[in-house]
Amino acid sequence: MHNYIIKRILITLPILFLISLISFSLVFITPGDTAQIALQNPSGGADEKTVEAFREQHGLNDPFYVQYIRWLGNALQGNLGKSYMTNSSVTDSILKAFQVTVVLAAVSMAISLIIAIPLGMLAALYKGTFLDDVCRFFSLIGVSMPNFWEAYILMIVFALILKILPSSGYVPNNWKYIILPSVALGTGYAAITMRLMRNSLLDVLNQDYIMSARAKGLSEITVVFRHALKNAFIPVITIAGLNFGYLLNGSVIIETIFAWPGIGNLLVSAILDKDYPVIQGCILFIAVIFLVINFLVDISYTYLNPKIRDNI
Amino acid sequence: MKFKSQSCVYITILVLLLAVVSSMCINPNEPPASESHLRVALAYGPDKTLDPAEKWTGWYMREVGVYETLFSHDENMNLVPELAKSYEKMTDTEWSIQLRDNVYFHDGKKMTADDVIFSIKRVLDPKNSRSSEYDFIESIEKQSENEIKIKTKKIYAPTIASLSDPLVSIISSDATDIAKKPVGTGPFKFKNFVESVSLDLVQHPDYWKGKPGVDKLTIYFIPDGTSRLFKLEAGEVDMAMGIPQSEVETLKKSGKYTVDSKETLRTYFLYLNTKKEPLNNIALRKAINYGINRSQIVEKALDGIGGTPALGIFPASMEWSYADPKLNENNEKEIRELLEGAGFKDTDNDGYLEYNGKKFELGLLTYTSRPQLKPSAEVIITQLEKLGIKSKLTILQSGAIENKMAVGDYDMALYAWGVAPVGDPDYFISKHFLSTSSEAKKTGFSNKRADELVKMGVETLDKDKRKEYYKEIQQIVTHEIPEICVFHQNSILGASNKVKGIQQYPSEVTIITHRLSIEE
Repeated sequence: MHNYIIKRILITLPILFLISLISFSLVFITPGDTAQIALQNPSGGADEKTVEAFREQHGLNDPFYVQYIRWLGNALQGNLGKSYMTNSSVTDSILKAFQVTVVLAAVSMAISLIIAIPLGMLAALYKGTFLDDVCRFFSLIGVSMPNFWEAYILMIVFALILKILPSSGYVPNNWKYIILPSVALGTGYAAITMRLMRNSLLDVLNQDYIMSARAKGLSEITVVFRHALKNAFIPVITIAGLNFGYLLNGSVIIETIFAWPGIGNLLVSAILDKDYPVIQGCILFIAVIFLVINFLVDISYTYLNPKIRDNI
Repeated sequence: MKFKSQSCVYITILVLLLAVVSSMCINPNEPPASESHLRVALAYGPDKTLDPAEKWTGWYMREVGVYETLFSHDENMNLVPELAKSYEKMTDTEWSIQLRDNVYFHDGKKMTADDVIFSIKRVLDPKNSRSSEYDFIESIEKQSENEIKIKTKKIYAPTIASLSDPLVSIISSDATDIAKKPVGTGPFKFKNFVESVSLDLVQHPDYWKGKPGVDKLTIYFIPDGTSRLFKLEAGEVDMAMGIPQSEVETLKKSGKYTVDSKETLRTYFLYLNTKKEPLNNIALRKAINYGINRSQIVEKALDGIGGTPALGIFPASMEWSYADPKLNENNEKEIRELLEGAGFKDTDNDGYLEYNGKKFELGLLTYTSRPQLKPSAEVIITQLEKLGIKSKLTILQSGAIENKMAVGDYDMALYAWGVAPVGDPDYFISKHFLSTSSEAKKTGFSNKRADELVKMGVETLDKDKRKEYYKEIQQIVTHEIPEICVFHQNSILGASNKVKGIQQYPSEVTIITHRLSIEE
């Protein structure tokens, strides 16, 4: 088991290196002159003398590998450089935005699970009935509905018509502001998770050991809750974990629409401003988060499923 | 399979119901406050720092009513004194500026020459990233408590105008932490700032123009246009800037909102590559210039409200503007004759013109970060095709377009420019029509007389003479057509009918004024 964990960490390292290389290269791959773009006047144009001074100051005249090694060295110490626009620490901005995103991700995740698990179970237990059809219908809608559209619909219904929730905005620790964005974000994931829950439970219920449990004369509740659910949860947890990884990366669209200052919003405004240190930092950070989540999911998977654990 | 016990079904339904009900029992409306409170939604706000001398933070801080400058612009872009009372030209390179003696900072301190000098010197500091824009200033001295003298290195006509840039906002020299706690002279005093979220302000009772009409002001930063609209419609804000143009009609119809649209200084230009065939043929450039129907572009691409057809570089309200009346004619017959005379004929009857018997296609490049660009470009393409000019639209990242333009690998590009950030024509003209300038290099424009005129324009202090020079440059441009002006972008503001005293300015930096008030 320990060997497996160590092996997984070792595999992660070259991936991390590659990601850092790619995210840093973005500046060099994307067309346009970095300094010129960073100093672009909102009216258009950039002052040439200022541009030259900027290049000098940020070492943009150095060759690629010099710049990369310098950036990587700092990044390893947790210093992702300074924003071209605000001159403030990229690491600080990212961590601050991440705190906002974490709240949104956690609530969205909770909402998606609260919807998906019971409904998925119902659909499986009442397979082929009207209830199943309704659940499947809604999950189809949930999967196909673009979340920006859903966001606007939620705003219209709950803020404009019913006037029970604020339409957008962010107030720390005020749960009224959390509901709409997390519902908009969570329902799509709920739909995916629900279908998975349904299929997975159906699968398990068809296994021989369920039949023997029923043959023993156990009540259906005991059969489902004690014997079936545990196993049915394994794929659901894997997917939920990965979904959580996506959620933690911040939803660019939802955060922009609801004006939440999370990672997604930070990345978008950095892209619009061509603020490369922030873009690079965000991408690296997002990638690391994803790797970590992936790693945790893998590990938890082995704990949940003795078959896999024994095979390692 | 039959599932006998139904209790788990009931439990699930109960849980779901509870979740729904609990979310219904909230009242987001805060208790009514006794003091008047104006809430405004803006698209963008300052980043980390609130220091007006840092990059373009000054623009935001002026917008929200915290800072002011020595000079500013009225609704017709005329330069008017603000914190200055008057100015006088002492010699060709020396200007004396008299300050108002009734201006108080938010901290209660009276504004003096020392504060003004302190504020300007912060910008001149070589460490300031925009200091080189002000390197025409040689020195700045105090004459008395209410007078300063600015000496320039050489004759520089836009000297006074450049003091209207919010970069040189006047701050209190006593302020200890300008980046976090702004202290200005504007109608509203800083209270609290949450980055990318909101800015809280309170009225500055000693404001020199009079007591502001509201007690409290909160600015929300909402990047998405539709969300800003919803915030206004939900009554969460009283005023919102940048209403999506497609929603203006609906908002007006409801009768509960005022919609104000004002022409701004942002003009959309079609760059033409005068060095590349077939656009090196002036007849084709002329045909495009006179052939595109600007009113139709505004009607079709901008819902008739997002812009105003441009007959010149500067909006008609500006004193520097020069309009080409022919741009309104759209005489198709004349244009076809012009093209035919220059060798553009449809020889193979495929519906498209050939140039001297050879097929050609014009590429139009644009980018998407400004929502007006793509739809306008699409209408332009349709109009060109109607004239028989085969053309194709390509959307790229602006950096990629810059690269292509720098090496002359393009035919046409649609771009937006703020034509006069400090109200002076030199900014735009010298960046576009001086042979060595960055934009002239892209279009290939080079004209000796224009070069002379640009130089004379900066070095002449007599305004009437300057007007003549800039008019002549604009005439040359109308003749040579390296760039085609298409429309001026409009700024669209929506507000509840309760809000009074709304006035938009073409410069866009003045929005929140002491005249704004809200009826209960």
